[in-house]
Amino acid sequence: MTRGARAAEWVVLYALSIVVALAISSVIVKATGGDWWPVVEALVDGSIKAPGRWGETLGIAAPLLLVALGTVISAKAGLINIGQEGQLLMGAAFAVFFSFRIGGPGPLNVVLLLLFGALGGAVWASVAGLLRFWRGVPEVLSTLLLVFVAVQAVGYGLKWQWLLLADEASRGNRNLVSEQLAKDNRIPRPDIFGNEFPITVYVALALALAVAYVLARTVWGFRLRMLGHNPRAAQRSGVSSTVYGATALAIGGAFAGLAGAAMFAGGGFSFGNYRLVPGFSDFIGWTGLLVALMARERALPAVVAAFVFAMLRTGAGFVNSTGVESRITDVVQGLLVLALLVPPAVVFLRDRRRARAAATERV
Amino acid sequence: MLIDFFSAVGDVLSSESTYINGALFAALLAFAATGEWVAERSGTLNISVEGMLLSGAFAGALGYHLADSVVVGLVFGAFGGLIIAVVQAQMSHRLTADQFVVGLTLNILIVGLTGFLDREIDPRADRASTVEIPVLVDIPLFGQALFGEPWPFYLLYGLVPLSWWLVYRTRWGLELRAAGENPQSADVSGIDVNLRRRQSIYYAGLTSGLGGAYFLFAQIAAFDDSIIRGQGFIAIAAVIFGGWTLWGTMGGCVVFAGALSFQLSLQGLGYELNTELLQALPYLVTIGTMAIFARRVRSPAALAQPFIRGLK
Amino acid sequence: MTGTGGSDPSVPAVQLTGITKRFGGIVACDQVDLTLYRGLVHGILGENGAGKSTLMKVLIGLVLPDEGSILIDGQPRTIHDPLAAAALGIGMVHQHFSLVDQLSVWENVALGEAGKLDSSGVRRRVAAISEQYGLDIDPEAQVGTLTAGLRQRVEIIKCLRRDPHILVFDEPTSVLTPEESEQLFSTLREVVAAENRAVVLVSHKLDEVLHATDEITIMRQGRVVDRRPTTDADARSLARAMVGREVSLRSERAAFGLTEIEEAADVGPEDGQAAETVISDEPVLRIEGVTVRGRRGGARLLDDISLDLRAGEIVGVAGVEGNGQRTLGDLLSSLVPLDSGQVVVNDSVVRTGAPGAMAKAGIGVIPEDRHDSGVVLDMTVAENLLMVDPHRVARHGVMDKGQVTEAAQQMIEEFDIGCSGPDAPLWSLSGGNQQRVVLARELAADPDVLVAAQPTRGLDVGAIEYMTDRLRQTAVDGVAVLLISSELEEILELSDRIVVMSRGRIVGELSHDDANLETLGLLMGGSEA
Repeated sequence: MTRGARAAEWVVLYALSIVVALAISSVIVKATGGDWWPVVEALVDGSIKAPGRWGETLGIAAPLLLVALGTVISAKAGLINIGQEGQLLMGAAFAVFFSFRIGGPGPLNVVLLLLFGALGGAVWASVAGLLRFWRGVPEVLSTLLLVFVAVQAVGYGLKWQWLLLADEASRGNRNLVSEQLAKDNRIPRPDIFGNEFPITVYVALALALAVAYVLARTVWGFRLRMLGHNPRAAQRSGVSSTVYGATALAIGGAFAGLAGAAMFAGGGFSFGNYRLVPGFSDFIGWTGLLVALMARERALPAVVAAFVFAMLRTGAGFVNSTGVESRITDVVQGLLVLALLVPPAVVFLRDRRRARAAATERV
Repeated sequence: MLIDFFSAVGDVLSSESTYINGALFAALLAFAATGEWVAERSGTLNISVEGMLLSGAFAGALGYHLADSVVVGLVFGAFGGLIIAVVQAQMSHRLTADQFVVGLTLNILIVGLTGFLDREIDPRADRASTVEIPVLVDIPLFGQALFGEPWPFYLLYGLVPLSWWLVYRTRWGLELRAAGENPQSADVSGIDVNLRRRQSIYYAGLTSGLGGAYFLFAQIAAFDDSIIRGQGFIAIAAVIFGGWTLWGTMGGCVVFAGALSFQLSLQGLGYELNTELLQALPYLVTIGTMAIFARRVRSPAALAQPFIRGLK
Repeated sequence: MTGTGGSDPSVPAVQLTGITKRFGGIVACDQVDLTLYRGLVHGILGENGAGKSTLMKVLIGLVLPDEGSILIDGQPRTIHDPLAAAALGIGMVHQHFSLVDQLSVWENVALGEAGKLDSSGVRRRVAAISEQYGLDIDPEAQVGTLTAGLRQRVEIIKCLRRDPHILVFDEPTSVLTPEESEQLFSTLREVVAAENRAVVLVSHKLDEVLHATDEITIMRQGRVVDRRPTTDADARSLARAMVGREVSLRSERAAFGLTEIEEAADVGPEDGQAAETVISDEPVLRIEGVTVRGRRGGARLLDDISLDLRAGEIVGVAGVEGNGQRTLGDLLSSLVPLDSGQVVVNDSVVRTGAPGAMAKAGIGVIPEDRHDSGVVLDMTVAENLLMVDPHRVARHGVMDKGQVTEAAQQMIEEFDIGCSGPDAPLWSLSGGNQQRVVLARELAADPDVLVAAQPTRGLDVGAIEYMTDRLRQTAVDGVAVLLISSELEEILELSDRIVVMSRGRIVGELSHDDANLETLGLLMGGSEA
């Protein structure tokens, strides 16, 4: 098969599986008496077309991308970190604690807050790192379990005023809520063509480039990749799996924590309005992990994947107005992810089946 | 104050309802963890068990809604879990997609789907009838919890030994254990590794689906997309806590469910314990157990590793 | 008594015709024909990479041929997978075992059968087979705890339990002592003669094939180049057929087990060159009382080992595989910490098990299994060449692309590494060229000690010759060389001094002149010198 034909085949396969995923979604909507086309229109409106929406989408893409970048780094070291949701939440909690219980000098506050967020995520991931390299607990299990511990820990913090809970004056009749971040401590959201989004979007993009560069070009990245591909060869060549592995996990957590802090201080329609509340993380950690996996653990493709996943989220906000329950977007998103997994597998299996069939024919 | 507290603890421990509640949660966990254990022994860290439970609960409600029968509801429930299992297994062990991508996606997708369908269909269910086993039900404290339950509960008494027998005493079990320990060797010996792994996931789907439906009929009898709330992940924790043995896993289910029920009962008496700590307990205990025993208790050697013939 | 019918001796049990298999651009098997009869042991002889293994994988269904046909007992068949092969009565004793460590002996034997699992029946059969062939084994033992020789026993029982009428042994003696090999061959004879089975013995060792077979097929570069009754064959002619020209070089002869002992005893390590080598008095590497235990306080993998190495000498470590050589190599690769004793390089003690400590101290290693710790298959040739010391092509922690390419290009040329360029992924290289990458990298670090573990395994003749010359040259250049090998001929040929390992201990040390196959064989079997 020629190169061109092969490429065309890929395009067709991807188009086909996406169409199938959308078709299934439409069947689900139809079966429950809804109408499919308005849903699609609402998705596009809500994510890009309507005024101010693409800014909103970028605002959600940024934390997704940050989480994904951290995932890429730990994956390159051969570690399976699936606890970003908890690391993100911890990052947000650290940022909140810093903002209201420590505080820094004026303009530096927002920077320090972000750093504290990163620290929180790193600390939480390092618990898994410690368990992995000191006690031999597989990180895939510990990171997963720590998510649920983080949820409870933050819930606990939100019950105590000396930790995260707001004082009575500022929380009014609400429970389990932190103070609201003061206006001058928030991440700036400049207005561009009627769209506003926090400048962490630029930070995330810059970090994507930085991660790609560091992994590809620096000695550190080189040794990290070596560790991921062949830990024994790496050990022999002087790469300590403990040092590099624990560092990679911590950095992965730091990115997730940074994402949490950025969500807290950057605003956006679903991020608690500059307050920490239960359920604050809102699946951004899990979705960021998916972004990284869909991008096959590469930094630059993760930029695109993050934007696509963000579109589905912002689009969802508009779906309710069509009379169809907005949860359908979770379904669409899930089906799309599954659909994107199919083409590479189909090609792989087809090639194998052909070899098999060819062998059968000869007899 | 402290004396009051201890007397409250005493009340809780001597109250039948603590054990009845505990049995409810333990059974939910046991249905899921039994299947999860089989899946993990074959080499899959099946995180879609959460989705399987939820799907089972919704399908159970739907089955009851359509046929007005708990039996049909349970069959629907098992089938609901199986659907998730088929997608998970086919994607990860036939199409060679990453098992975590598939599992995570399914978990998110199924919350959306059941939530969506629930609003649109609003299935109505009812509690299953309670069956009391004579004599045994009169055992003080535990009698009601173990022998005076809604009837689907008793399925466990068959399911758990059956799972043990399947894994340790049948050829199928031998082959799936080999697939979980050393897929290359199993393959060379003529075993279809990925087929065994898929089948183990189907098994997990069936038991978890059944578990979800059981929970629906045993407790609230109305579906809600937050009905499962991470119990699937606790089931995973129970398998790890149990060191990948079936009895250890069941022990984990009992301990974790007991902690939950204890806390709920104390709350009922007006004592606010540190609920967060208690809710985090299963995970903390599991992490602690692993930290102590990880080097001695061995997970299946090929756990969470995909198998593709010819790739070492 | 065989699985399927048709035991007419005139019909071949197996007839492979025109089997061709390509992997990418490489033709592993090229129009290969092979005919096996019942009651005969058929040897398939060839160098590593000649296509023997691929051919056998075709027969047992692990590889699908691109062309060709398979007749089993005169019937055309396709064999898609090992289960299909088993159903046709074909069984294989694998070179790399097909056992699951975590299961018991009887469970492993039962693995891959069909039908109900009958544990007591399997145990009884295991006992019966053990008895019948003198393969003593405890059916309840966990396979992971057994020695290599016992594991092979399980493998053979597993194979015989299915009562195959076609039996393939793939390089079966690589994990056995000479004595155990002898026992294996007598079992093999029995299986064939008494029970009318067809047996294939795949090997690269001439002695073995001459000794144990009735018929020989010789393969070279994926083709069958000769086939004859064993009675008409002698070592020299077989070697010629295998290599395709007269075998003259020692290294070549060593590779096929052809070294005449007397000759080897007379001459020093490679004629003439020994004279140039200056062996210093002071040891460069001192291994002092080293003990390494297995995980969880298990058996001693290395048991109180002491060994000195001087600049300019080659010390051979002989022994049956699985007697601690791998651990010794791992120790000197910073891969395992030790429980007692110490490793001293140039009078300073090296921290064992610390990442890169051995490399930093001046020990280069060509590991036993290069895929295990020698190379990273998914990285480029250049990256593999610069693994140990990337800083020399980096500035402020950033690798300079130009310098990387330049440094790699230089090594590629010096060591004549066959690849499409520095950016070629390592997996695209042949085994011999991958091994050259390892050698180039280790020598580029300018080591004081070079550890070469099974350095010629899996290489073709040209590569073996190259490797052998390089090792000798390295010693001449003043490096202390530790040669760990299970090929006695290779050891005898290269070493100035030979130590023998058995069960993690050094059981004897011989000077080159005192060593011959017999004395080494006795020591390897575990009898103290």
